[in-house]
This record gives sequence, C-alpha cells and structure tokens, in this order.
Amino acid sequence: MSKESTESAEACQESKAKQCHDCLGVVFATLLLRLWLGVRALQTGIEKFAGKVMSEQAVQIDGEAYDADLTEVASTKGYALDNYHGIPESMKDTFAGEPLMMGWALKVYDFVLGPALLILGITILLGIGSRVSLFLLGLLYVSLTWGLILIKQDSGVAWLGIHVIMIAMALNWSKHNRLCILKKW
Amino acid sequence: MKRREFLSKSGTVAGAGLILGAPSILKAAEGNNNKVNVALIGMGKQGRVLFEAMSNIPGIHFQTVCDIWDYNLDGGAKKVQALQGHMPTKYTDIDELLEKEKGLDVAIVATPDFWHSPHTVKCLDAGLHVYCEKMMSNTIDGARAMVRAMERNKKLCQIGHQRRSNPRYRYTLDHLINHHKICGTIVNINGQWNRAVKSSQDIKYSKRLTIDSDRLAKYGFKDMHQFMNWRFYRDLSGGPISDLGAHQIDVFNWFLGCQPKSVFASAGNDYFKTREHFDNVMAIFEYDSEQGPVRAFYQVLTTTSAGGGFYESFMGTDATIKISESAASSSIFRESTAPEWDDLIQRGYLRRKPAPPKPEATDGISSYASAAPEEFTIPGVLNKPPHQNHLENFFASVRGDATLNCDARHAFESEAPIFWVNPSALQKEPIIFTPEQLQV
Repeated sequence: MSKESTESAEACQESKAKQCHDCLGVVFATLLLRLWLGVRALQTGIEKFAGKVMSEQAVQIDGEAYDADLTEVASTKGYALDNYHGIPESMKDTFAGEPLMMGWALKVYDFVLGPALLILGITILLGIGSRVSLFLLGLLYVSLTWGLILIKQDSGVAWLGIHVIMIAMALNWSKHNRLCILKKW
Repeated sequence: MKRREFLSKSGTVAGAGLILGAPSILKAAEGNNNKVNVALIGMGKQGRVLFEAMSNIPGIHFQTVCDIWDYNLDGGAKKVQALQGHMPTKYTDIDELLEKEKGLDVAIVATPDFWHSPHTVKCLDAGLHVYCEKMMSNTIDGARAMVRAMERNKKLCQIGHQRRSNPRYRYTLDHLINHHKICGTIVNINGQWNRAVKSSQDIKYSKRLTIDSDRLAKYGFKDMHQFMNWRFYRDLSGGPISDLGAHQIDVFNWFLGCQPKSVFASAGNDYFKTREHFDNVMAIFEYDSEQGPVRAFYQVLTTTSAGGGFYESFMGTDATIKISESAASSSIFRESTAPEWDDLIQRGYLRRKPAPPKPEATDGISSYASAAPEEFTIPGVLNKPPHQNHLENFFASVRGDATLNCDARHAFESEAPIFWVNPSALQKEPIIFTPEQLQV
C-alpha cells in the first residue's frame, strides 16, 4: 500500500469517527427536543382535565370545628373528565367578543384542543409518525398564536413563537430521530 | 366555640341596636320543600357566576331562563341543560315569563343595575322570592321600591352582598372584633378596590351577535356598545363606586353596625375622559359608632392595580384587621402596646405569621418610625365559590330553615350612603346626611 493511500484511509477513518461523534450529538439533541415537545404537549393536555377538589379539613377553634366551609386550605388539585375545559372559561367571553372569531369554530376548538394535545404528545414521545405529529403540533401552536394575537396577549404569542421554532428544529433534524415506533411519516 | 353556638349566644347583642348587623327577621312562610323552582333573570357574566355557585346546591330546579341577548339566553340555557339533563324554557321578556311560567318559587336577578329594581319588584309582586345582585339599584328610589315590594308581598329578597355569608367575614366580626375585641377601639377604616387600566377597558362584542335596535331600545339601551358597557353610563349604573365600592362600604357599615353621618368625596374622569362616570373616586365617611367616632376612607381606582387590589382594613388602637375575600390579601397587625394574644393563638383564634427580617436603618427617618407591628392571619379559607354561601343562606331561608343574612331592608340601610358619593364629588362638598336621605 502506498503512503498516499494509507494516509487517505486514515483520513477517511478520522472523518467517519468525527461524523459519528457529531451524529451522536445531533441524535441526543433531537431526542431531547422530542422529549421536551412531547412532554409539553402531553402535560398541557392533561392539565385541561385539572380541577379543584374542595378541602374538608375544617379549622379548629377551641378544639372544635368552627364551620365546615372554613377550612385549612380551600382546595387541592384533582383530575377528572368532568373538569375538561379546552379554552379557559375566563377567556371564552373575550374570544366570543372578537368579530373574526366564529362561534362554531370556538366550540369545535374548545372540544378538540385537549384531546389533540394529548394525542400529539403521546405520538411525539413514542415516535409514531414523528414528522407529521410535529407538523400538526406546529399547526396547533399557530392556531393558538392567532387567538392570542386577537386578544393582544403579546407575551403568549412570543412564547408560542419559541415553541414553533423548536418544532422547526426538530423537523429539520428528523433524519437523526431514533427510538421510534413508526418511522414512516 | 362553634359559629352557630356563638350566634345564638350573641343574639342579645344583635338585638341591642346593631340593626345593620342583625340577621333578618324575614323567613319564608312555607315549610320545608326540597325542590325549589328557579327563574334565572339575566344570564350575562354575573348571572353565570351565580348559576355556577347554585349548581353546587342540592334541590334546585332551574325551570326557566330570561335574557334579552340570544347569545346569553342560549348559552345559559345550554349550561342549565348540561347540569340538569333537560332544557329550561327560554324568554327574552320577563313579563311574558311571569305570565306564562307556573310553579316558580324563586327569581335570581342578575340584570344591569338599572333593571334590578323593576325586575325585583315584578318578581316579588308575582309572588316569588328574589335574590338580586348588588348594587340594589342605580337610584336610591329604585332601592326603596325594592324594600317596599319585599315587605308588601311578605316575600324574601336577598341582596348579593356575598361577604355577609362568608364564614371568614362572620368569624372575624363575631369572634375577633366583637367577642375578643382584638382591635381595641376601631378609630379608622381604610378600604379600596383598585383595578388596572387593562381591566377597565370597554367590553367588545362580535358584530354578528348584535341585538336588533328595536329590542335594545325596548330595554333601555341606545346601542350595542351601551348594552355591553352599561356600567359606564349614569342612567344605567352608579359607576365604579357602586359596582366595586358597594362591596366594601357595605362591610364598613355591617361591621360598625351603623350608618355614617356624612360623606365627602373627590372624583374625576382622570384617564377615561369620555365616560359618564368617574374613573377614580375617593370618599371619606364619618361615623358616630357605639364605640366612638370612626373615619373611613374608601378609594376605587380604575386606572391602577397598585396597592393590593381589594380589601377592608379596620384600624384600632390595639390592632388592624385587613380582610379581603382573598385570604392571601388578609392580615392582622398587632400594636406593640396591645395585650398579648398567646392564649388566642393557642386556642386557634389567630395564626402568627413568621416575623419578617428587621430592615437595617439606612437613613435618618427610621428613628421617627414606630416599630413594625407583629403580623397574624385569620385562620382558614373559604372552600366554596365566593357567592355559594350567600345563595345557600337564601335557599335555606326559602325553605324556612334560616333567616336572610342580607335582606333588602338591611342592604338598603347599608347601601344608602353610597348613593351620595357621586353627588358629593359633583358638588365638591361634604354631605351631612339627614334621616330622609338614608331611610326607606
């Protein structure tokens, strides 16, 4: 083997090792990003089912319960299907007053938002059709952004903008996505 | 000591002239009847708040809903349907409702202020018991008419000063102020409701939900903007001092057990220049209470959220109790010269807050300042929506199991001074009350 070819083989091996080293970093970065976006969507969806469970530990005055409605804490957090609220109650009227917001669309969105976040969170975490799931999540965030623009919640718009940038990064690195149940789509 | 036990033992005090604090002698004549048929009159924002609170109370049948805005009417009816499984009847006109609906027991009135009196009087005259939102009316004569209708028809009429049924407020008044007298002599009161500019903006509406002009005119609104923002108009509302101030000024009068003898107010259109009502109001009430003279300052500012939102502070020679519907905004401050409270703390009447670190003196002023008072808290928090206890008290009274905590006559006595705040500010003069100004 000539000296040149030996050097070339070594350079090639070195390049491969470097590529592999870089690749591992991108794979980890992609996994972390997927994990973050999945957890963010899933837990946000779960929180749509959160509500209050009223406390029953009455305040004791002179060793006796004073009034059943006067308790040590007002409520604790609990989850139930009955608690479901896609759009927070306090924001529904604000949205309903917006000329560009269709009433029917608001109802559909209210119904769909929580389940959509839950499903997309799960598919992103498990790697089921990751690219389509990420794209749909991005669309969901764009729709939320539109709503917040209407009611002038600029900080929320900026916050969602960061989410969309993260989704774009995850899509850009999708070829490095590993540990997927369904790689197609 | 339990609340009920205390109330029964302190009944003689209530009977000894503390008319504003005394429970109502009115009670529904009917005996126990579990199912109460309810008409919801007004299903706007406050109507829905009341409905949500009532949805936790057993034995209520929401028979019918009335609102002039289809958006509220349909939305409210659907909420009722979701709760009780069938659709209530729906009306845009209260006269038609009262004519057609049979078997109603109760009306819950949550319409704009200028409709409170006509709607309440109609319902009382139709033989219903009424729970009506505060402020009773936008005019003092409207409020008077409500009291007369209640007494003429011998029906119950509770006004929505919900703090009167809040166990934290009742506990504070009964135990801490009246029984243990932890404030010593109350000499000053300070209260406020401050709201940021952002929260004081015009309420918008979707054009496609506009009510036709004939219907708006029939119910006293010149256009949709006025319908959505009736609180800004002098003919429709008492403005911020009645929208927000009524809550706290009612507590002043309830806790002191008397009406003020004068009011002096200053107010202006400082930021919202085109609105008919003042956006910022400051008022001083003077009292000759049983324990001596008391001066009460109240401010409602719709241009700032600074200063801690909404609360009432009862400032005595031994302590100040700062109370609010929000437990987080409530505190008790003990003067250094007051008797020790160790026994009360041990028995659960008060909780001691951890002492804050002593600030280091960085200027010469500190040598003139009093020592910072020790801080305590009122024990417990309300574990229900804020209006629920007041509604429970109303429905228990309808069933004959309780007496009203804030019937129309007591509410009138407490609200009457509030009607004179705007006139004092307009005249830029104090108003020394005559009996005619404060009586039904």
